Amino acid sequence: MNVIETAGLGKRYGRTWALKDAALVIPAGYVVALVGPNGAGKTTLLHMSVGLTTPTTGRITVLGSEPAGSPAALNQIAFVAQDAPLYKNLSVADTLHLTRNLNRSWDQQRAETRLRELGILLDRKVGKLSGGQQAQLALTVAVARRPRLLVLDEPLSSLDPLARHDFMASLMAAVAEDGLSVVLSSHVIADLERLADYLIVLSRGQVQVAGEVEGLLAGHSTLTGPAAAVDDLAERLAVVYARRAGTVAHLLVRNNGAAEPVPSGWEAHRVGLEELVLAYLREPGAAALPGPVARVAHGSGVTA
Amino acid sequence: MTAVAAPARPATRPRPVPWTRLVWVTWRQHRVALGGVAVLLGGLGLYLLIMGLKIHSGYASVMSCHPAHSAACLTLSDMFNRDYYTSAQVFSVFLLVLPVLVGVFLGAPLLARELETGTFRFAWTQGCGRLRWVIIKLALLAVAVTAASYAFSLLWSWYFQVFFTEGLDGPLAQQYFDLRGVDFAAWALLAFALGAIAGVLIRRTVPAMAASIAAWTGLDFAVNLFLRKHYQAPLVTTSSTIWQNNWVMGQWYTGPNGAVLSQQTIRNLVTHAPESVQHSPNPNAVTAYLTAHHYRQWASYQPESRYWHFQLIEGGWLLALSLVLLAATVWLVRHKAA
Repeated sequence: MNVIETAGLGKRYGRTWALKDAALVIPAGYVVALVGPNGAGKTTLLHMSVGLTTPTTGRITVLGSEPAGSPAALNQIAFVAQDAPLYKNLSVADTLHLTRNLNRSWDQQRAETRLRELGILLDRKVGKLSGGQQAQLALTVAVARRPRLLVLDEPLSSLDPLARHDFMASLMAAVAEDGLSVVLSSHVIADLERLADYLIVLSRGQVQVAGEVEGLLAGHSTLTGPAAAVDDLAERLAVVYARRAGTVAHLLVRNNGAAEPVPSGWEAHRVGLEELVLAYLREPGAAALPGPVARVAHGSGVTA
Repeated sequence: MTAVAAPARPATRPRPVPWTRLVWVTWRQHRVALGGVAVLLGGLGLYLLIMGLKIHSGYASVMSCHPAHSAACLTLSDMFNRDYYTSAQVFSVFLLVLPVLVGVFLGAPLLARELETGTFRFAWTQGCGRLRWVIIKLALLAVAVTAASYAFSLLWSWYFQVFFTEGLDGPLAQQYFDLRGVDFAAWALLAFALGAIAGVLIRRTVPAMAASIAAWTGLDFAVNLFLRKHYQAPLVTTSSTIWQNNWVMGQWYTGPNGAVLSQQTIRNLVTHAPESVQHSPNPNAVTAYLTAHHYRQWASYQPESRYWHFQLIEGGWLLALSLVLLAATVWLVRHKAA
């Protein structure tokens, strides 16, 4: 099953496209990192997945084939928007009570246990909690709904490093416990390395990279060698990005599944996630999209 | 497409979140505003109750005074009017702004605050969905506003009733029409609906309040000055005695040939009347003189018996307009991209 599936998805604000012709398949069971620079369309995509924004073109379905934003879909998706909006004038206990009354499924026990572990008192006003505690409360409330998919928009951006660490620990615990799928956006790539096992890179409103982190890392390597030989190499290999430093060049190369021999005079290294993302973001023309995307884009034409 | 589609999905649609739970949500989130309205209406209501009791007992003693035309009784009657009637008139004028205060105070923040603070992203992505969420909130608060306002206007009617009984004011009098019957509650409901739709359109609480107050006030003035008198075609009469409790809309004179005369013509006639008429101690002498010369005074008016017609016409279209605005608000919440 796919937690999010889009075909030809686009959103236009005035004359600018926040997202354009996005074909995307996110399979279930992953922690998906949605990365990209500010304005790449991350929030737009996530908002469309929970029905807060309606697409200008194309379609988006969630959890199989539920239309995004439908009651059936919302029943199984928990969303934490950027800056974790909660009612500041309510107490923590009232926030739990409120969320319970707004949903079909709710695990009060679990919410209370988590808050106790986090040292968040039930009688405190939400507005009096620290930023980190508010984010934790928003996550607690989302997880206590027992969703099948958890969508988080920039959950880490406003948190200090310690709160960021604690938040990710909580998130990983929830994933381990429930086996729920997670889609989270971030422009802080380093933090996601331990967390995410599926990567989507959005750039200028387009999906640039989509795939399992392990496969993407295995499918790419960096080559270091003579700058003069870059053009020659580019004819034989899929060079994503080339950076020249004097006579030396660093290349990010996609090896398309086949383990190709390292060309003579060049040295190969394993690539890191951050390095991979940055290389693609610097080269918006390059794309690494797995097969399923093309298949779904084709399939949607048949079903539509 | 993908092989794993059907088995993982529940076959049936989830049952919606029960309304009763959403009632709690509405109460919890709006109890402060509802409390504020209760304090405002309760405080003013208490004043009306105390003054109303005084007025009623004062009126009873005026009525029981005997003989009615004795100097003592006339003094008592004057004192009653001085003590209560003037203050009741002034106080009632202030009450005319009450519907807009109550309605806008509850209506404008309802959606504007969610949109302003970003909490709509929380509220609208919960399992109940935003459609049920907005319907229950609008419905409950609209009923609360209408019921509280209606109760308040009943209390005011009782408080002011003596002065209507005495014929000091007609029931169609502009300054009191809004305060009685179904009108007060209908104007309050309209203010609530205006506040709600302004909130979703403007997305900020204070500007939404300002805009809905301005819209409400403009409409209220337009209705009072221009619209209400056209609910039914006015009656026309030459009798000058039945005007007391009716709503007189216009007066004019016709000449012996039946043509309508200008004010200037009438003034000329009066200034050329004999000295005995112009300086007569009898206030009706001028009219009698004009009548004798086949000039007739006309008046168009709405009879007081049309009071409930007018109430129901105005209450009806205000209710319809409010429901349209509330439905539009629901539609906007349902379809508006956030």
